[in-house]
Amino acid sequence: MHRARALVAITALLLAGCQAGAGAGATEKPSLLIWTGGGPGGEATQALGAIFARENGVDVNVQIIPEDLQTQFVTASQAGRAPDVVMGAHDWIGNLVQNATIDPLQMTDDTKAGYQDLAIKAVTFNGQVYGMPYTMNNIVLFRNTALVPDAPRSMEELVQKGTQLKSSGKAQEILALPVGPTGDPYHINPLFTSGGGYIFGTRDTGDFDPADLGVAKPGATAAYAKIRALGEGGAGVLKRSITTDNILSLFSGGKAPFMISGPWQLPQLQQTGVKYDISPVPPFEGGQPARPFITVDAAYVASRGDNKALAQEFVTNFWSRPDTGTALYTATSSVPALKEALATVRAGDPLVGKVSDAGVEFGQIMPSIPAMAVVWDPLGKAEAAVVGGADPASTISAAASAIQAQIK
Amino acid sequence: MRRKLGLGADGTASPLGLIIKIVVLGLVAAIAVWAAFPLIGTGNWLGLAVLLLVTAVIFSIYLSPRAIPAKYLIPGTLFLIVFQVLPVLFTLSTAFTNFGDAHRGSKDEAVAAVEGSSVQQVPGSTVYTLTIATDGEPGSGDIVFLLTDPATKAAFVGTADGLEPLNDATQNTDGKITEAGGYEILDIAEVSARSADIVEFSVPTDRGAIKNQGLSRAFEGTPQQAYDAGCDCVKDRTTGQTWTANDDDGLFVDGQGQALAQGWQVNVGFRNFAEVLTNPVIRASFLKILLWNLGFAFGVVLITFALGLLVALVLNKPGLRGQRLYRSLIILPYAMPAVAMMLVWRDMFNTDFGLINRLFGLDVNWFGSAPSSMFAILLVQLWLGYNYMFLVSTGALQAIPADLTEAAQVDGARPFHAFRTITFPLLLVALAPLLISSFAFNFNNFTAIYLVSEGAPFPPDNPQAGATDILITYTYRLAFGGAGAQYGFAAAISVFIFLIVATISIVSFRRTHALEEIN
Amino acid sequence: MAATDTLPATTGDETVVRLGGAQGGWFRQVGWRHLVGLLALAFSLFPILFVVSAAVNPLGTLSSSELVPTGASFENFRKLFVDTAFPTWFLNSMVIGLLAAALSMFVSACAAFAFSRYRFRGRRAGLLGILLVQMFPQFLLIVALYIMFAYVSDLWPAVGFNTRTGLLLLYLGGALGTNTWLMKGFFDTIPKDLDESAKVDGATHAQVFFGLILPLVTPILAVTGLLGFISAVNEFLIASVFLTDDDAKTAAVGLYGLVSEERNNNFGVFAAGALVLAVPTVALFQFLQRYIVGGLTAGAVKG
Repeated sequence: MHRARALVAITALLLAGCQAGAGAGATEKPSLLIWTGGGPGGEATQALGAIFARENGVDVNVQIIPEDLQTQFVTASQAGRAPDVVMGAHDWIGNLVQNATIDPLQMTDDTKAGYQDLAIKAVTFNGQVYGMPYTMNNIVLFRNTALVPDAPRSMEELVQKGTQLKSSGKAQEILALPVGPTGDPYHINPLFTSGGGYIFGTRDTGDFDPADLGVAKPGATAAYAKIRALGEGGAGVLKRSITTDNILSLFSGGKAPFMISGPWQLPQLQQTGVKYDISPVPPFEGGQPARPFITVDAAYVASRGDNKALAQEFVTNFWSRPDTGTALYTATSSVPALKEALATVRAGDPLVGKVSDAGVEFGQIMPSIPAMAVVWDPLGKAEAAVVGGADPASTISAAASAIQAQIK
Repeated sequence: MRRKLGLGADGTASPLGLIIKIVVLGLVAAIAVWAAFPLIGTGNWLGLAVLLLVTAVIFSIYLSPRAIPAKYLIPGTLFLIVFQVLPVLFTLSTAFTNFGDAHRGSKDEAVAAVEGSSVQQVPGSTVYTLTIATDGEPGSGDIVFLLTDPATKAAFVGTADGLEPLNDATQNTDGKITEAGGYEILDIAEVSARSADIVEFSVPTDRGAIKNQGLSRAFEGTPQQAYDAGCDCVKDRTTGQTWTANDDDGLFVDGQGQALAQGWQVNVGFRNFAEVLTNPVIRASFLKILLWNLGFAFGVVLITFALGLLVALVLNKPGLRGQRLYRSLIILPYAMPAVAMMLVWRDMFNTDFGLINRLFGLDVNWFGSAPSSMFAILLVQLWLGYNYMFLVSTGALQAIPADLTEAAQVDGARPFHAFRTITFPLLLVALAPLLISSFAFNFNNFTAIYLVSEGAPFPPDNPQAGATDILITYTYRLAFGGAGAQYGFAAAISVFIFLIVATISIVSFRRTHALEEIN
Repeated sequence: MAATDTLPATTGDETVVRLGGAQGGWFRQVGWRHLVGLLALAFSLFPILFVVSAAVNPLGTLSSSELVPTGASFENFRKLFVDTAFPTWFLNSMVIGLLAAALSMFVSACAAFAFSRYRFRGRRAGLLGILLVQMFPQFLLIVALYIMFAYVSDLWPAVGFNTRTGLLLLYLGGALGTNTWLMKGFFDTIPKDLDESAKVDGATHAQVFFGLILPLVTPILAVTGLLGFISAVNEFLIASVFLTDDDAKTAAVGLYGLVSEERNNNFGVFAAGALVLAVPTVALFQFLQRYIVGGLTAGAVKG
């Protein structure tokens, strides 16, 4: 498997190399420049780009931009050096649109119908579809089935089981949920929503409304009171010492019976040999549903690319193919956005199916409006402070006023 | 006798010297010619004038009998001006604008983007199967769209004048037109070559226009929002809502003060500077942050220099066994990617799982209190930075003539006394500028804070000013933490930070007499 | 050996010897130096052990709770060389690092010579200016450089984006800087009588510089050369914007591409790459040290 992927990647590299050599002078083959982030998704995009190149007799150059792709893409567009296509998360759309860097796509109803509803909703901004979704993610609860055979139905049950295991010495931590010294609003969102909080309300059109800031509402304080009870001064379930860097080793080493994370952990987990299963993140007893954020990766047509017709062809006709979706799943272990690809994947990998089910049933789209960029930092710090024992009411209201001051 | 310009004017007499000079000046001329062609080709006369001037200056300096210092300074100075001074000037110029996300381009670009992003498919209209063709030569003829209605297989030709039925078209099984009399069907390479024309092209219809979406599909769309030069506003066709241009802010704003997403860049005068001075958030925490910033920068210089010098002195004994290996391995931290190493260190300070607490049996929440967080940051910087000080001290120590210390010893001075009175002052003269520049670097050492503590701990009631924030991390949060990066505002902040650092540095120069020594 | 043992070194070591009141004892002579050296080594190398651990650990996470890897293999190194373009990146880094180091050392030494040996108008302002220009917060300059190079790339693609030459030129922008000061300080310690007498003998300024001064300052050339090499090889911010073609990337850019996504499992490969990349630096320093301990001190020993 790995070897096959490596081969494809090397072929892509060789092709890119030949093109770099042949590029100058000779009557140019039409070429498509694609920018993508690093990691397995970037490598897979290189391999897929080579397929498109072969099928259409064009050159495809997939460049991996390791650092801050979104900013680089905006700067490059401004300087007139934009690529034709860029790959990125759906929450970039607000910023990319306000900088006039991407074009809306005209998707037929047939094409739309092939996608999961949430995926299309995520890439819709001000009534227009801007990106072709390919993978989507949400966080779920992983449990060590050797320690906990059955999925807990509530947070309270999870805490109770974890505490038992901890006091009997079978585990050292109850739950590996990343908080870190400055908080992590993405990972805490299921608990935040189950406790009665929300970040932005929605307008009738389905767009997020920056004027309706849920962080400033009483529900947010109530939710954080519950989170505080789980924190360092309370049950000791949530800790600032638990971060995205150490959750996997805590869980796979059997030190924590539960972990809240996403499907991107699956390839690693399979290597460790720990026995585990997946279920939705449980809500508080008697609380609201626990809603993880849905994030969608999508392909966008750059407004100022050199070869727009080819870029549209690539994005609307090639990137929406089921085999492309499954190839990207294979590389990233993320949920395919295309229904047909998901069906194929689900048959061979029930775990990804479980992630998808949890997302479909409970997930909420991560807001893509530019105002969302203001929320992460203050809300995260409030989370860290409350987990450390600070008073929820005053902490959250300080965060809310910091957010409101910057939304303007 | 006054010597004139010439290859040997400055006394270069050896054949080797002359040959080198000829080759180098020849290279300069060749590069100038090479660089001139594209400038001429694009009609960039200003650029050409600058190029000619620079070349002339280089020639006159190297052919002149005088201006000897300039011969040695010109290469570095050129690079410095182009790659350091010009970008600084550009940044300064943005401080007077609202340059940032949503305000990057011109008003025309904003208008085009508003209209373009409001194009919607006409309700109930056909999505055609498309073949792109030309009327005439593929390279130069007018673009036409050969269209098929997928439901009825009816064929049309769309030109800049409108849509007409097409009778003699050959279709493949998908309905795509593969041949039509009088039209040249473009292959993918030809389409790419005409890409700019195709972007411009659309087929006008009663309800809007037909545009292509990729190579094989076309739809009838119409922009929902259109700019009206008469009222200098954008109007929505269906709802009638209007957004009027506000040229002070570079935004289209409606009656309720809601703005369209796409704005443009405008000059704002000193507004950014005034904002820095009057921003209540900045004012509330400025002094506290400045104090720690100074403490951090001075502290890092002090401890890295102290440890670096100490180790350099200790290992600077001729004949010390393993000396080379010691030195090579001690600088290893400097050769590792700093970003990754800061993350490793951050992990080592983890309260429950970090190595430091476990090794020393502690239970310290390192980033939970101001003193411990500061300590952790300084320790990380000591590790990252003492190697540099070790390296330059090792180099500088070689410059101190041994006979000086020898003489002191003959005079009966005790070795430590000799070090303090002779070696150290000499070292300091050589290294003071480095120490000052290290201070300036650390004063703005963004990653040192951001990757280790992110400014933590933060007081629960103020998520914006952490106990270990320095000015640059703090203002970064203000300028880039909002709904898009505000480069103009950040540039204005940079000016203030620069003034602070430069003032301190110049005062330090005076104090260490480093500037006096340079005469 | 005897000669060096009695050589009055330039340092404060005799303090200890005198304080001890005797000339004897291996420890008092050199042993304590080894002790300090070993402590410094331990401090330097300890955090790097985590990188080593991650590099041989097939489960590629960054976590210091796992100093002892869960397994040991060279899988990450194999992936690094087979699955990524690391060999190309590494080669690019070496070419750019060595050229940038050599050229900026030369440019800097020229300027230091002018500042040290000549008195001219604007000298003080120039010296101060090259320090002050670098005190402007750097993080905003990337955008300016990008826009500038967008023009350059359109006009002269040969030195534009994704070219080694362009990046090299950019790095030379920093050649006049602290290193110039460091060299100038070193040049100042060489008595001016030396060049005066050479000039009396008919030497030109170029002969003084290349024939007389440069050979005397090899220690500082070696140090600045190494500093230049390290900073060019590890430079990431500018390079990541400048080099987007996979084949043009330096190792620093390429390696970060492996771990830039937060959700990734490539840290082990990254760690392996970081270690491989550190090898040339250490080797170069090993090699350059003969010039550091040469130079003036060597002359003094013979005298």
